[in-house]
Amino acid sequence: MLEDKLLLWKFKRGSSEALERIYDKYEAYLITVATALLNNTHAAEDVLHDFFISFVKSADKVKLHGNLKAYLATCVANLARNRIKRMQREPIALDDNDSIESAALEPDLLAIQEEETAILNQAISQLPYEQREVIVLHLQADMRFTQIAKLRSTSVNTIRSRYRYGLEKLRSLLNSEVLK
Amino acid sequence: MKSFQNIQKIVAKFKVKPGPEMRSKVLDEALEIQRNQNQQSISDTKLNIWRIIMKSPITKLATAAVAAIACFIGLSLWRTTGSGIALADVLARVEQVKAYSFKRTLHFWSEKVTGKDPNTPYIRGTFLISQEYGWKGKIEHLDPNGGDSTFDEYCVLPQKNTTIAISHKKKKYTRKQQDDGWIERVQKANIDITDPHTFLKQMLKTKYESLGRSTMDGIEVEGFRTTDPNSLVGTSSSNSGPSKRLDQKLWVDVKTRLPVRCDATWVDFDQMENKKKYERHVLYDFQWDVPVASADFEPVIPEGYASWVVKYPTHITEENAIQGLKVLVELLGKYPENIYHIVPENINDDAPTVLRLAEKSETPAAMRLKEEIKGLTDDEINNKLVDFLMPIRGLGRFYRYLQFDKKDPAYYGKTVTPKDTDKVLMRWKVSDSEYRVIYGDLHAETVTPAKLAELEAALPQ
Repeated sequence: MLEDKLLLWKFKRGSSEALERIYDKYEAYLITVATALLNNTHAAEDVLHDFFISFVKSADKVKLHGNLKAYLATCVANLARNRIKRMQREPIALDDNDSIESAALEPDLLAIQEEETAILNQAISQLPYEQREVIVLHLQADMRFTQIAKLRSTSVNTIRSRYRYGLEKLRSLLNSEVLK
Repeated sequence: MKSFQNIQKIVAKFKVKPGPEMRSKVLDEALEIQRNQNQQSISDTKLNIWRIIMKSPITKLATAAVAAIACFIGLSLWRTTGSGIALADVLARVEQVKAYSFKRTLHFWSEKVTGKDPNTPYIRGTFLISQEYGWKGKIEHLDPNGGDSTFDEYCVLPQKNTTIAISHKKKKYTRKQQDDGWIERVQKANIDITDPHTFLKQMLKTKYESLGRSTMDGIEVEGFRTTDPNSLVGTSSSNSGPSKRLDQKLWVDVKTRLPVRCDATWVDFDQMENKKKYERHVLYDFQWDVPVASADFEPVIPEGYASWVVKYPTHITEENAIQGLKVLVELLGKYPENIYHIVPENINDDAPTVLRLAEKSETPAAMRLKEEIKGLTDDEINNKLVDFLMPIRGLGRFYRYLQFDKKDPAYYGKTVTPKDTDKVLMRWKVSDSEYRVIYGDLHAETVTPAKLAELEAALPQ
């Protein structure tokens, strides 16, 4: 926590060492969050790329109210959410992603993960985005329900419900024959 | 059975390893930008006066007041009466136009999100549409976190069955040689009221009212409005259920009887979140009957951009699917467990996906492939593998079309092997009384639903 505060302080003053350290410290964590949200490694890498570029460009505007880890996850989640919306709305979306059925059924992630991870990810991808986001941000990004509620401008109870419904659905998916 | 706690543990343990080139790709660029910024901040100490002015609460109030007055003036202009234009006639005229261009903005916002300006678009773009040559769009995506926007260009060339996507940010372009059925399906898949033709067609399905005549940008226009959510039925915007409310307006040039502006806002009430979510599309700055040539639809690729070529079989058929399965068996020595494993369709990850699939395989085909691509870059690999990948892409697309056409497809690669002459590897519905089946040894036949049920019951669990 203290290290993060110091890193951010240095980063805002243009320290390349601080930027490198932040990147190395959180790269795997952020790519996991983005991949779980988007179910597409390529899209997740794009989001991470966009985030870090935007992070550097707006370094002077970064204001940390909580911890750096949650802040980074929040920004990545915002970009992922935006990307999902974009994919759903773009007239060329089919060409861009080649997914007629759903942007969530991208195959490339499934191809590179071990089978169990692939199954888990496939199950996560079948959750409504709102539920998937809460589960990923809570379990992967270690964000508290209150933080997620604030991020999505909604009540903690709503976030808890989404989490509960999402986990129930995930459990039934993982236990069902569909994914076997 | 997995318990609630187990699921939480499994999800928490889920980890993705970043790609080997990820660090250099992202961090190098970020460091370079940081270096430039550091230099800039030393040399540039001028205050951004405009930003300070606009941050002032008094200025914000004054700006809001000016905007409100402008809206009031605008509204008062539109309240005159007098109708005479039939929307069906407008649609007929639009259909006669050979080529036109327009601009579009897309906005999202929700009721409870504070500080989000609904007037700031997420996406803005310019489009050129020709009956003869196709479709071209330049689209800017704005970063919700206040960072840089991205600028992409797309071309759809139906005559050539080709699509081209240029990412200026990544300095990369993708040229896809599509199959024959693609254009038709992409139109169905993406139908939305985001072009004037669909906008009008959907509006005609509803009970609309006249807003009377007024002047817009110096043009005498007649306005139309509908609030009937049926206007969204059949579009991709109708997915979120009956709670959708719509406010759709259209202004038509009284002289030319062609649209001048289309503006649609729809609201979803999210019962779970107890809040309204808004989406707004505005189409404007129409140029009708613009002269076009085929060259206008050929994008200009800036020098130094990496190219990516993707080819699909011309006709997507059962034979393509069988051929794709055959190539995969040769490569992997078995059928992939999940159909999605075998669909390397993502435009930028095709070659690496196949490499990853083949990496652990020691079949002669895999060994040959690995030898051939040793030491090549991703782009070189893609260029080398364009034809090799085509049957696999054909298989992927065949399966996706079955899903898209709701033909009840299923795939059993996890339990069926190439030696299984009597086990169903893949099946789909042909009609209510017939299913088509591809068996493990890749021969195919048509069976009744009862026979299929029998075959599927015999599959190993």
